[in-house]
Amino acid sequence: MKKHLMIAAISLPLTLVFGNVAWAAKGNAEAAKEKATTICAACHGADGNSPTPSFPKLAGQNADYLQVTLKQYRSKQRKNAIMNGQAEKLTDKEIADLSAYYALQKGLYLKR
Amino acid sequence: MKKFAIASLVLLAASSAAFGAGDAAAGKAKKSQCAGCHGIPGYRTVYPDTYQVPKLGGQHAQYIVDALKAYKSGDRKHATMRAIAGSLTEQDMNDLAAYYAEAK
Repeated sequence: MKKHLMIAAISLPLTLVFGNVAWAAKGNAEAAKEKATTICAACHGADGNSPTPSFPKLAGQNADYLQVTLKQYRSKQRKNAIMNGQAEKLTDKEIADLSAYYALQKGLYLKR
Repeated sequence: MKKFAIASLVLLAASSAAFGAGDAAAGKAKKSQCAGCHGIPGYRTVYPDTYQVPKLGGQHAQYIVDALKAYKSGDRKHATMRAIAGSLTEQDMNDLAAYYAEAK
């Protein structure tokens, strides 16, 4: 009994901690809402439907594509003066959250 | 001077018309090599990273053209997109962009 209790006492907190890794990769759209609607909105529009042709619409874009793109801007693997600056300070969590937010908005669609 | 200014403006307007604003119907005829990746639900590129290829439907036409040009020149790095964009003329890019930019 004591042995089982010990196993539970160790594995439960570990699950709670490392279980979050999957959540972090998935992103929390609500957590990104303020940043998206105040900072990113300046170019990409309030819901990601950018009104400016040279700034891409983000609304409805695939979350994993957005994550890869933001990371490429952050590492400067992809060069763009504006986005390199914007992405520079983003954490992995913020990137996941922002990507989840935009993926939920209505706009872009899969066109065959 | 004024005549020169007017002539320049007319020439400028004519040159953008000459390049041909994109024709969505023409784009539709050329899109099979795009649809192979961008038209398949859940399709993922696996090299160099694994992620779903971006949705193009409803995107700004100008942004799509800018992206294709950047892939073609190598400014934006992606081996497959570079090869595909490299095979496109400016007219092709405009037509494809017009096709994809259409509202749902």
